[in-house]
Amino acid sequence: MSSVPGPDRKSKLLVYTIEECPVCGQKTKRAFAVGDYVTKDGSKCSKCSNTTRVSLVYAESSKPSS
Amino acid sequence: MLASTALQFTGLDTSTLLSLFWIGFIMITFFYQTRLQSYLALNDISRGLNKLKVMKDKARKEAIDYLVNVGKATNDPAQRVDQFLDYVTIMPVDTDPAGVMGKIDHVVTTNNDRVRAEVGALLDQKNPVTVSISENLLEVATSLNQIHKIVRHFYLLGKKTNSYFTLVQLQMLMPMIIQEADALLNAVDSFKMGQPVGDGIGPTVVSRFMTGKEKRVVAKDTVMAVTEYKGRKLYVLKADGPMAYVGQPGVAIQKIIGEMGVKPSAIVMIDAALKLEGEKTGEIAEGVGAAIGGIGVEKFQIEEAATRAKVPLYAILVKQSILEAITVMRKEIAEAADKVSQVLNRIIEEKTKEGDEVVVAGIGNTLGVAQ
Repeated sequence: MSSVPGPDRKSKLLVYTIEECPVCGQKTKRAFAVGDYVTKDGSKCSKCSNTTRVSLVYAESSKPSS
Repeated sequence: MLASTALQFTGLDTSTLLSLFWIGFIMITFFYQTRLQSYLALNDISRGLNKLKVMKDKARKEAIDYLVNVGKATNDPAQRVDQFLDYVTIMPVDTDPAGVMGKIDHVVTTNNDRVRAEVGALLDQKNPVTVSISENLLEVATSLNQIHKIVRHFYLLGKKTNSYFTLVQLQMLMPMIIQEADALLNAVDSFKMGQPVGDGIGPTVVSRFMTGKEKRVVAKDTVMAVTEYKGRKLYVLKADGPMAYVGQPGVAIQKIIGEMGVKPSAIVMIDAALKLEGEKTGEIAEGVGAAIGGIGVEKFQIEEAATRAKVPLYAILVKQSILEAITVMRKEIAEAADKVSQVLNRIIEEKTKEGDEVVVAGIGNTLGVAQ
């Protein structure tokens, strides 16, 4: 998973990709992979099997595990 | 033993000696206070300067590594990169300000074209995303190099002339300079990975209106799609993603209103805005005027076009710090996208009527945001 130092230096930022189904609106959150970009086609929707689309890529703060 | 000998020798008692000591101490600090503070300031600045040197060296190394590993640079790019870091852009004379924006635009465009041509020539990999990321990495390295040089100049000047005020001013500015330099260095990671940055919130919102629509290039690195919302015809534009471009929204809006003959009832601009300390990241502010940063050319062009056509300019701003604007988009900013879309829809509904035309511009670096 892609991570960068957080603003307080003690935490780090984990980057996620949100895939959204344009038909049923189901959202799936997964780790960011190089090559992901907003509007890129994603995996099949787990609910209705339509092709999802990347709607957001963002970072969340997380405390370090060690 | 020594004290008693001194007392016997001088014939003074302890309290008189202590008083003399304090008087001496006060006299010394009174006359040499600025020298002492200059010395402390020099030490402080020197530490900051070392940090800046480490940062600029790291940014340079990261840029070279990216050019070699991802861009598959044909030859060792180190020498070219070093030349690139010292390249200067000479701004036009502004003592006769008439027509100066056109001149600035010309100089800046020439520089941007040169950067792209040089990076393109360096790389074997011609993928536009890789080329645009390389350009951005080199810009970061150039900025850090410039910051280091300027701070070093004033440090050495202050030291050489023993100028207390030069040194103290620099010392006071150092924390903010380091903060900005740190933000630039942090941006390197996001750029290398091709992740959307906080500044890309405008393009993220408008990309939702453009997906699946036919796109056309309206200016350099700038694309537009035509769509509809509640009976209004929307001309939606953003920089061409997922490359790390900011495009030319000024030229694009001039073209839409001028050459294309569109008569918009409103221009709505969505952009990231620097928050003040105490403001929350992802807060949305509404306003009027051209919401765009940069050197001022694009802002000037948009204001010119809007004023000539008497079109009101509306702005939607998403607050964030400088660090958040140039590093990977934070959750709070990304989650503001839905709220911004709602605000945009409300503005369109309130300020225009059915059958009207509206220009919607998503302003900012569109890295990792296609359309």
